[in-house]
Amino acid sequence: MMDKRVLRRTFLKAAAFGTGTLAMSQPQQQVPRRPMGRTGLEVSKLGLGGYHLGTIQDQQLIDRIVGEAIDAGVNFFDNAWEYHDGRSEEVAGQALRGKRDQVIVMTKVCTHGRDQNVAMRQLEDSLRRLQTDHLDVWQIHEVVYWNDPDLIFAPNGAIEALAKAKQQGKVRFVGFTGHKDPRIHLKMLSHNFPFDTVQMPLNCFDATFRSFEQNVLPELNRRGIAPLGMKSFGGSGEMLRHGDVSPSEALGYAMSLPVAVTISGVDTLEVLHQNLEIARGFQPLSAASMESLRQRCRPPAADGHNELFKMSVKYDGKIGREQHHFPNEEELPL
Amino acid sequence: MPGNSTGIPTRKFGQSDVQVSAIGCGGHHLGDAPDQATATQIVHEAVDGGITFFDNCWEYHRGKSEEWLGGALKGKRDRVFLMTKVCTHGRDKSLAMKMLEESLHRLQTDHLDLWQIHGVVFENDPDLFIRPNGAAEALRLAKQQGKVRFVGFTGHKDPNVHLKMLGTGFPFDAVQMPLNPLDSNFDLSFEKQVLPELTRRNMAVLGMKPLGGTAAAVKEGVITAEELLRYAMSLPVTTTITGLDKIDVLRQALRVAQNFQPMSPSEMQALRDRALPYSGDARFEPYKVSLKFDNPEARLAHDFPLDMQQKEVKEMFGAGLNTGKPYPMYPGAAQQQEK
Repeated sequence: MMDKRVLRRTFLKAAAFGTGTLAMSQPQQQVPRRPMGRTGLEVSKLGLGGYHLGTIQDQQLIDRIVGEAIDAGVNFFDNAWEYHDGRSEEVAGQALRGKRDQVIVMTKVCTHGRDQNVAMRQLEDSLRRLQTDHLDVWQIHEVVYWNDPDLIFAPNGAIEALAKAKQQGKVRFVGFTGHKDPRIHLKMLSHNFPFDTVQMPLNCFDATFRSFEQNVLPELNRRGIAPLGMKSFGGSGEMLRHGDVSPSEALGYAMSLPVAVTISGVDTLEVLHQNLEIARGFQPLSAASMESLRQRCRPPAADGHNELFKMSVKYDGKIGREQHHFPNEEELPL
Repeated sequence: MPGNSTGIPTRKFGQSDVQVSAIGCGGHHLGDAPDQATATQIVHEAVDGGITFFDNCWEYHRGKSEEWLGGALKGKRDRVFLMTKVCTHGRDKSLAMKMLEESLHRLQTDHLDLWQIHGVVFENDPDLFIRPNGAAEALRLAKQQGKVRFVGFTGHKDPNVHLKMLGTGFPFDAVQMPLNPLDSNFDLSFEKQVLPELTRRNMAVLGMKPLGGTAAAVKEGVITAEELLRYAMSLPVTTTITGLDKIDVLRQALRVAQNFQPMSPSEMQALRDRALPYSGDARFEPYKVSLKFDNPEARLAHDFPLDMQQKEVKEMFGAGLNTGKPYPMYPGAAQQQEK
């Protein structure tokens, strides 16, 4: 027994010398997986955000990012019908060719209050762009206005499309997303619709400011709904720039919460590698480290400037604002 | 309904026997008047018209609002109920007491009728207020010393922050908050979440921002200023504070207040219904969902980033070193200090 272990260690050492690179001196660990709520799926603790993928112009780079992520064990791919007018779905569909069955494909429907027919049309668009005949997860995108739950649950509203698409076998699981306020999420949940997933900002600043972690996360876990975390760096890295936290603290915190997956947007190989380095063989932070990070972030979290998606219209999509007849960012002093 | 000879109703201030006018003169807008003479004219006409409640704040226009009001109230101090606010924004008791002396000096009086904690808007403000050596101790001390009769707090951001302040257990006499039909519809509603609690506790309720702060709903022709003012005054509040920066605006407010008849519940509901389509994103009450309406002194005290292009931020840095906060932490501040 002892001999075997020594032997294995020696062998690894020799192999590492053989490659001649420091990065390969340890065997590459995979990103760990965990159950995605009650769905029966196993999801990687780190997921790849679809919005940022669509900002990359070079398809070869996109293919490489997606390929490297999958090789590292990432199997959750986020997207939305409206990201970059469909480009995010198209480039992801392209990059996932031949790999579709290895991954969980999620995209979002962008009715923003319109009826189920709009939703079903968008579903067909999404399936075509993603080059697949079904989605693993289909979510209502950007529930951020206070009247959205009423519109979504109105007769003939988007919620009926979720049920229908599931019946038709075009989507396996359904949910909703939003970045504005935990109270809007709770309004959505108050309808007791059997959502499989719910996506929301979860990070060390959210922990003490209009907090999804405090107000929504426990409720999801109580109901067995898979929580999908996002905006672990503040949406566009605001926390890293102003918040005095490192990427490993910020992503480590988010991934240590009781969530199924933390979705992070990647627009360069450098960011992918940074995130993978944190996520490979991930060990959750201790309760004490998390509490100390929460306390450190509490004073700069208290006005929301590190989470502008909650306290400005900067992260509210153009289509959503138009559908609600709300003025756009330029016209509003927000 | 009790009232004075001008026709403006008066109402009992919380649990006390003091009566105040059902409409109050906002201190921030007073500092927006073109000059002191106009501000004096506004104040004199307001007093003669039956307004007894005067709002102000240590930080409004870096002291100008208090100075102009103090000048205008010369010889009339005893006819009015004078309120101002203290701007510690989490800082300690001794700073609050310094600010109180400055306010008394500028307002040319030896006591305030009401002294309130200004702008409780950030999630950690209630904790900072009640901590040992925090501003709560200044409120107690000033009351003991007879420098202020009543104490309270104000804020425009989130009803939950107000509820947290009430949860500190501090014996406030008054609470100020935005009250208007837009607020009533919006989910972060002071009318729905805080007003009933204040009524239950028999506290003085001071409504503000009856027009939604920026009056955007009026400018877009959705609701008239008169309707908004009547709505706010028809709620179970002690007074409704409204900004009066021009004689015309004052006269319009006086007309509404002097002929005030409360709206019926169905009239109030009709106004809420009219405002409903605009309530999904709070665009007519942006102070709840934006950082741009935060007081710069408050952002400074919390070490939050400042928008150096904002008029009020420029005013703050141009006004001298009177906040107890070291300025050189901010761009351009070192030069200001040397001047």
